[in-house]
Amino acid sequence: MSQDSKAGNKKNGSGASHGGPAFLEFQEIRRLIRMCAQSGALELELEHLGAKLKIRMPEPGKQTEIVQVPSPYPVGQAFVPPAGQAPAGPALGQEGGKPEASGLPENTVTIESPMVGTFYRAPSPDADAFTKVGDTVDPEKVVCIIEAMKVMNEIKAETSGTILKILVENGEPVEYGQPLFLVKP
Amino acid sequence: MRIRRLMIANRGEIALRILRACKELGIETVAVYSEADRDSLHLRYANETVCIGPGVAAQSYLDIPRLISAAEIANVDAIHPGYGFLAENAHFAEVCESCNIHFIGPRSETIALVGNKSRAIALAREAGVPTVPGSDGPLKSEQDALETARSIGYPVMIKAASGGGGRGMRVAHNDISLVNGYHAARREAEAAFKDATVYLEKFIESPRHVEVQVLGDKHGNLVFLGERDCSLQRRHQKMIEESPSPIVDEEMRKRMGEAAIKVSKAADYDSAGTVEFLVDQDRNFYFIEMNARIQVEHPVSEMVSGVDLIQHMIRSAGGEELGIRQKDLSVRGHAMEFRVNAEDPDDNFRPCPGRIGLFVPPGGPGVRWDSHCYSGYIVPPNYDSLIGKVIIHRNTRAEALETAKRALSEIIVGNIKTTIPLYLRILEHNDFIQGDVDTGFIERYFM
Repeated sequence: MSQDSKAGNKKNGSGASHGGPAFLEFQEIRRLIRMCAQSGALELELEHLGAKLKIRMPEPGKQTEIVQVPSPYPVGQAFVPPAGQAPAGPALGQEGGKPEASGLPENTVTIESPMVGTFYRAPSPDADAFTKVGDTVDPEKVVCIIEAMKVMNEIKAETSGTILKILVENGEPVEYGQPLFLVKP
Repeated sequence: MRIRRLMIANRGEIALRILRACKELGIETVAVYSEADRDSLHLRYANETVCIGPGVAAQSYLDIPRLISAAEIANVDAIHPGYGFLAENAHFAEVCESCNIHFIGPRSETIALVGNKSRAIALAREAGVPTVPGSDGPLKSEQDALETARSIGYPVMIKAASGGGGRGMRVAHNDISLVNGYHAARREAEAAFKDATVYLEKFIESPRHVEVQVLGDKHGNLVFLGERDCSLQRRHQKMIEESPSPIVDEEMRKRMGEAAIKVSKAADYDSAGTVEFLVDQDRNFYFIEMNARIQVEHPVSEMVSGVDLIQHMIRSAGGEELGIRQKDLSVRGHAMEFRVNAEDPDDNFRPCPGRIGLFVPPGGPGVRWDSHCYSGYIVPPNYDSLIGKVIIHRNTRAEALETAKRALSEIIVGNIKTTIPLYLRILEHNDFIQGDVDTGFIERYFM
């Protein structure tokens, strides 16, 4: 699920918390700074749909200055598809085979949320988590709970393998199709 | 009570329309979408987006638990249902109410009352509003049929009580055809619906469909914003709508408006809604039903009245007073809307989903374009085929017709067939130019 200003915005890499959506990711800003340094440019200004970015390169001895003004119409960050999926491409009826995050084994399988609700790792606040990284799962194993409208729904793995990574935090809201666990078959 | 965050429980052009109103009111927006709508335009502008299910409407836009779940995790205090889907689902409105979420529309009891066609007609009659004269119940015998027909006055229509799809229906112009029709309709109804019960209604020849837009608040204020003539239909689907109606003068407008207000007040209506009438060749109007939702063609009324209906619906739902007096309202100029569908009018309106190539919307003076489409957008096959609405507003109907021709010819929708060529032909037809059409017009000349 994508959000604009809540803390813990998992979908953008910038971790920006300046009170509004950024229209550039942190890596992109770093790249622009490098470009300026290499080209010898002293100042760079970008504007897109009301959002502005200005970079002023330092005179010797001074700091680089970066100013980002968020757009009233959040662009980019407001529409970020669930991690691992190509944005704004033809997305009709994409079944299975979601691209896995980089750096992981090739045939990683994702357990996705079948519903909208709140993700819980354990049956109750004091109980142990259903699974942790490294656990083996089979199709019938309950891996988490998704609470929707006060109903606690047990979610089964529906796949076999080892839990590689848990992609959401306890108590986090999740949307339909959102990847929850990475499993190595 | 002021609404702070609103969830748009719909898609396509109306979702964008609602989002625009929220932006202007300073309300945060939460857009839900199905997997088939990932590339939807309004998602880019929403503060938050939530995927609620697969493309199948029953598991997304029609799925109440998924919608309410999304509303809860996104922490909204209002839901706008748009039109279609759950907009007139009394149960959905009720669930919202019980979750303390403002449903942007009338109350659930009102939706249930008005949604039941016979109850709505009974309501109209009690309120002193004319309805289509009829037998008021099943016909008991051939003799009963004859007497009722004579008292209503020919021509009459014999209709199956359990019927639909035009079956079990017969028109009769005199006693002989009535008796024949009565028996034939009963036989057909028995065969098709296992229920031979028939009733009688006055048959209105070449009717016009004229509806009145009403708008209310929670403080008992209710106004009407003129009428819309929606006679250009194909299989009961509206294609072109205009306001004012070419056959309604100021005096008739006032009478129809007051009739619409009477029905709305009787139903305790407190939001935006539409009261539908059939108008016969003698300009008598008869209440047929009320739509307890915002409609596709609402922009036509917005243009001639200068009132933003979606903004007012939202503000009323938040408890604000309407702030509009009936005497301040008037019809200014002439507006027309053309529904552009991704369908092939030369191939029985076969739907044409798929990727739009180059897309250029219309513009210029007098042109409003309400659409969610853009170059490269894929029109999904899962939903209705409406890709945009061209709304024209000019000082006179004649000017509106010229602007309509100009604007419709400017639109470029690459790769996809649309109903635009049909509209360009209709705009050349003398009857339409004269404003002299009825609900059978399109099927008569263009099918």
